[in-house]
Amino acid sequence: MPAKPQHRFLHVGGKKTQLMTLGEGPPLVYLHSAGGETEPIPFMEKLAEQYTVYVPAHPGFALSEGLNDILDIHDMAWHYVDLFAELQLSGVPVIGYSLGAWIAVELAILRPELISRLGMIAAAGLYVEGAPMGELFIDDFNKLRELIFFDPESPPALQTTPRNPDDSQMLMWLRAREATARVGWNPYLHDPKLPRHLHRVTQPTTLVWGRHDKMIPLPHGEYYAQQLPNATLEILEECGHGVPWEKCDETAALLMK
Amino acid sequence: MKFFAFHLMPWDRLPADFAERYDSAWTTIPNSLYDPLHGGKLYNDYLDQLVLADQLGFDGVCVNEHHQNAYGTMPSPNLMASILARQTKRVKIAVVGNALPFYNPPTRVAEEFAMLDCISGGRLIAGLVVGGGPEYFSFSLNPTHARSMYREAFDLVLRCWTEEGPFEHYGQHWKLRYVNPWPRPVQQPHPPIWIPGAGSRETIQFVAERRYAYMGIPYFHLDFFQRNFDMFRDACEKNGYTADPEQLGWLLPIYVAETDAQAWEEYEEHLWYFVRNLLKGLVIFPPGYTSARSIAGIQRGLQQFMTVCQTRDDIERGGYAIVGSPETVREKLQTYIHQLGVGNLLGLFQLGTLPHELACKNMSLFAEQVMPKLRAIGQI
Repeated sequence: MPAKPQHRFLHVGGKKTQLMTLGEGPPLVYLHSAGGETEPIPFMEKLAEQYTVYVPAHPGFALSEGLNDILDIHDMAWHYVDLFAELQLSGVPVIGYSLGAWIAVELAILRPELISRLGMIAAAGLYVEGAPMGELFIDDFNKLRELIFFDPESPPALQTTPRNPDDSQMLMWLRAREATARVGWNPYLHDPKLPRHLHRVTQPTTLVWGRHDKMIPLPHGEYYAQQLPNATLEILEECGHGVPWEKCDETAALLMK
Repeated sequence: MKFFAFHLMPWDRLPADFAERYDSAWTTIPNSLYDPLHGGKLYNDYLDQLVLADQLGFDGVCVNEHHQNAYGTMPSPNLMASILARQTKRVKIAVVGNALPFYNPPTRVAEEFAMLDCISGGRLIAGLVVGGGPEYFSFSLNPTHARSMYREAFDLVLRCWTEEGPFEHYGQHWKLRYVNPWPRPVQQPHPPIWIPGAGSRETIQFVAERRYAYMGIPYFHLDFFQRNFDMFRDACEKNGYTADPEQLGWLLPIYVAETDAQAWEEYEEHLWYFVRNLLKGLVIFPPGYTSARSIAGIQRGLQQFMTVCQTRDDIERGGYAIVGSPETVREKLQTYIHQLGVGNLLGLFQLGTLPHELACKNMSLFAEQVMPKLRAIGQI
């Protein structure tokens, strides 16, 4: 039976922040992607079978505010330093997906003690020569689904993008794009300084990547695996960038073992 | 009523299968498609057309700024305006405009516009714009900062023209210890300011409050212009004055030939080249360029954008372009100008692949057989 989500708002460093919690057990923090998945998805419910899963919405996403105070990815990571303090969380597992995984690794550099182990799914954050990332800031939803999903016609692919301009998801979608652009427009979805800091991230880290990821190609995962001192890379076949939807059970099993 | 000849300086030699083979005429369109020798000829033809506008009695000419695209090959409108400042004698020269966030520091705009105003003897109209959506891709400039950079740069340019230098400027985006631009503009306190908009409420309020002129972003259905111009007039009333028609500008493609049939015969393929090739892939609103709520609203407005047109009838009914004999064009313009309440008509007399000779004929017929009668009506 899926756990019942709890919704509330926190004030984090003056920023109104939307927080959902799901399930029971020890705490685990999930940092969402540019798609802004802040309502329960099957992957979170899987995690919630063993954990109390915290799903905060980043500033500017969903009903979280405070984007004016966020000028780059480091401001975003500092926001999470404040949020962990507000929730009195420390030494907990953190799972991030795409944009969220990038925030997670930046947080691990700033405050290693907050994170016991890291799950990084199809993580942004790097520039890898010869493996360009896809163009996320496009208006054409058909192209976007092709970029993100191994099967762009699958139900999750269709459900996660608005279908027309009058769709009620549209406003949240536009907010999510704006907040992503704020930290990821230039440099494009990466932090040029990040590679020089990765050696400091000593937590056990599991990287999960889709073999066919066109948004953030596999060499990004391989680079992280090489540079992070204590990381393993798990590659999922017949899987694109939409890992939590496309390989829900496998990914949850890899990250909870 | 004032008449302006507006030029985009488009690229006219895209391959016949362009629309099938390429995603966009913007940002990523391979620049191997650009032929510099032909480009040189085009620039000279296009400049000749604007010089002709001066000789034909137009009130002004307009140039604008776009980067990395086939739609308008004019990354530096100021270069073109400086040639026009010398080669024309009478017309206003409207640069619509300089995209402020891309000038670093934006005091460059105050300087270059002042140069143009000096060279032209006070004929400059200063367009101060945020920059088009595609430019934020082409420059990798973060569009979520577009508005705040624009506001800061705008105020700084105005201070450059109205305050004695040197002074200091410490803003969010620029920190300048010595602001002291030489030269200063001829027109005092500064050249007239035009600001284009696509219906964002914030822009309309800003322009109305400061009594500048508002230019409607082109290629929309007449109803879309009507809504925005009405909104502008309301905003002026709220600021305690009635809008002067010269505070409003309507930009659209115009083609005049001897008869209606001949006009469509000569014009139609060039118009569709423009709609299907040059407007293809235009990202009007990148993320954060304006508020999410405004973007959602304008996305609905895009259902009234020219790219939805499939037939000549669609073009005519929406007033996307005015095409026909001098009588037809005059009658339609007279009706629409009256309805929209605009005091500036900005015509695109060359569009897409339209050849130089036809563009010149179009402008001549317009100036000789349409403009005088519309002027007369305007004075009644």
